[in-house]
Amino acid sequence: MTIDVLGTHQRSARPPFVVELFACEPLYAGAALCLAALVAPTLVAMALDERTLLGVNVWLKPLRFEIALSVYLATLAWFAGWLPERVIVTRWYRSYAGSVVAAIAAEMVWIAGAAAFGTASHFNESSPMMAWTYRLMGGLAVILTSSALVYGILILRHRKSRLEPAFRLSVGLGLVLTFFLTVVMAGYMANSGGHFVGDRSTVAPSAPLMGWARDRGDLRVAHFFGTHAMHFIPAFGFVVSLIFSASTARRAVIVFSAVFVAFVGYTFGEALMGRPFLVVLP
Amino acid sequence: MQSYQGDHDIVKMMTVARMTLDTLFQLCTTTAIAGWLLLLASPVTTTLADRVSGLLIPTLLAILYAGLVMAFWTRAEGGFDSLSNVMRLFTKPEIALAGWIHYLAFDLFVGAWEVRTAREERIPFILVVPCLLLTFLFGPAGYLAFTCLRAARAITPLARFPSLRP
Repeated sequence: MTIDVLGTHQRSARPPFVVELFACEPLYAGAALCLAALVAPTLVAMALDERTLLGVNVWLKPLRFEIALSVYLATLAWFAGWLPERVIVTRWYRSYAGSVVAAIAAEMVWIAGAAAFGTASHFNESSPMMAWTYRLMGGLAVILTSSALVYGILILRHRKSRLEPAFRLSVGLGLVLTFFLTVVMAGYMANSGGHFVGDRSTVAPSAPLMGWARDRGDLRVAHFFGTHAMHFIPAFGFVVSLIFSASTARRAVIVFSAVFVAFVGYTFGEALMGRPFLVVLP
Repeated sequence: MQSYQGDHDIVKMMTVARMTLDTLFQLCTTTAIAGWLLLLASPVTTTLADRVSGLLIPTLLAILYAGLVMAFWTRAEGGFDSLSNVMRLFTKPEIALAGWIHYLAFDLFVGAWEVRTAREERIPFILVVPCLLLTFLFGPAGYLAFTCLRAARAITPLARFPSLRP
C-alpha cells in the first residue's frame, strides 16, 4: 500500500490538483473556489473603506473567514477522495453537503453584511435582531464544522481504504478532533462575549497576520490551532508513515494527537488567564 | 525592541496605497479603452482580444466594482425603486464611480461578444466596427445596431454570396 496523498504514484497523465478536487467533491471544491474569489473584491473594499472595528479595518474579518472557510472546504474536497467510494453519490450525503455549504454561505453573508454596515457580527447584542442572528449563526457554525466529524468517522471506519493505516488514522483523528476542539473552543468564546480575555474596551496590539493580542488573553489562538487539527495531525501522520513501520507510525500518530490536544488546551488556558500567546509579559 | 502591530500596519499600508476616486476613474477608463483598441485589432490579435477584452479586463473591473459596492453601498442614500432614488444613489461619488465601472465592464463585455459572434457567423469585421463604436459610446444602441446586422446577415441568401458562407 502507498500513502497516495497527491496520487503521484499513478503514472498516467493526471489532471491538475485543482481539477482532482472537483472530481472528488465538486460542491465543496466549487464553494472553496467562490470563497477564494471573494478575497479579491474584499481586498479592494479593505483598501477603500476607512471604517474600523476594534481598531482594525472592518473588512479584515470577512477576509479571514473567506480564506479560512475556503481552506476548510478545499481540504475536505481533497479528503473526499478517501471516503468510502459510494458515499459521495448517496442522497443523504448530497443533501448533507448541500446544507454544509448553505450554512457557510449564510455565515459569509452575515459576516460580510455586518462589515458593510460597519458593525460587529459575532458578539453583537445591540438589537434583538442582531442578537437572534448571532445565535442562529452559532447553530449554523456547528453544522458546517460537523462535516469534519462526518468525514473523520467515515475515513476511520473505511477499512478497505487504499491509504497507509497510520496515515488514515491521522486523517480521521485530525478531522474528528477539529470538530470537537472547534466546538469547545469556539463555543466557549461565543458564550464569553468577546475574543479577548481582560481589557475589551481598548485596541490590542496584535500579532502580524493572525491579529492575536500581544498584551492580553486571546481565545482565537486555541480556536485556530484546534480547528487546524485536520491539517497538523495528517501532516504529522504523512511524515511518520514514510519513516517508520506501520505499528510505530500508528503509535506516533496517537501520541502526537494527544500532545496536540494538550497544546490546544495549553493555549486555551493561557488565554483564560489573560496571557498572550508566545509573548512574555513584563 | 518595538512591538510589531500587524493589523494596524496593514491598515496604514492600505491607507498609503489608497488612490483617490479620480485616479481610479482614470485608471479604469484607460484600461477599458485599451480593451476596446484590442477589439479593433481583433482580426489580427484574435486570441489575445478574446481573452483580454472579453475576460480579463471585465473581470478586473468587476472586482473593483464589487469592492466599491461592498465598502460604500450601505452608506449611500436612495435605492432602485424610483427614478429620484436612483439619482440620489449617484450623488455619492464612490457609488457614481461604481456605476461608471459597471458601464465600462458591461459595454466592453458586450463589445467582445459582438466580435466573437460576428466571427462565428461570418459577418465582415468592417461592418462590426460601427457597432463597436456605438457600443463603446452608447452601450445599448450599439447592441441594437449589432442585432440588426445579425438579422440582415441571417436573411441574406448565402447561395448568391458564397464568401459569407460559414
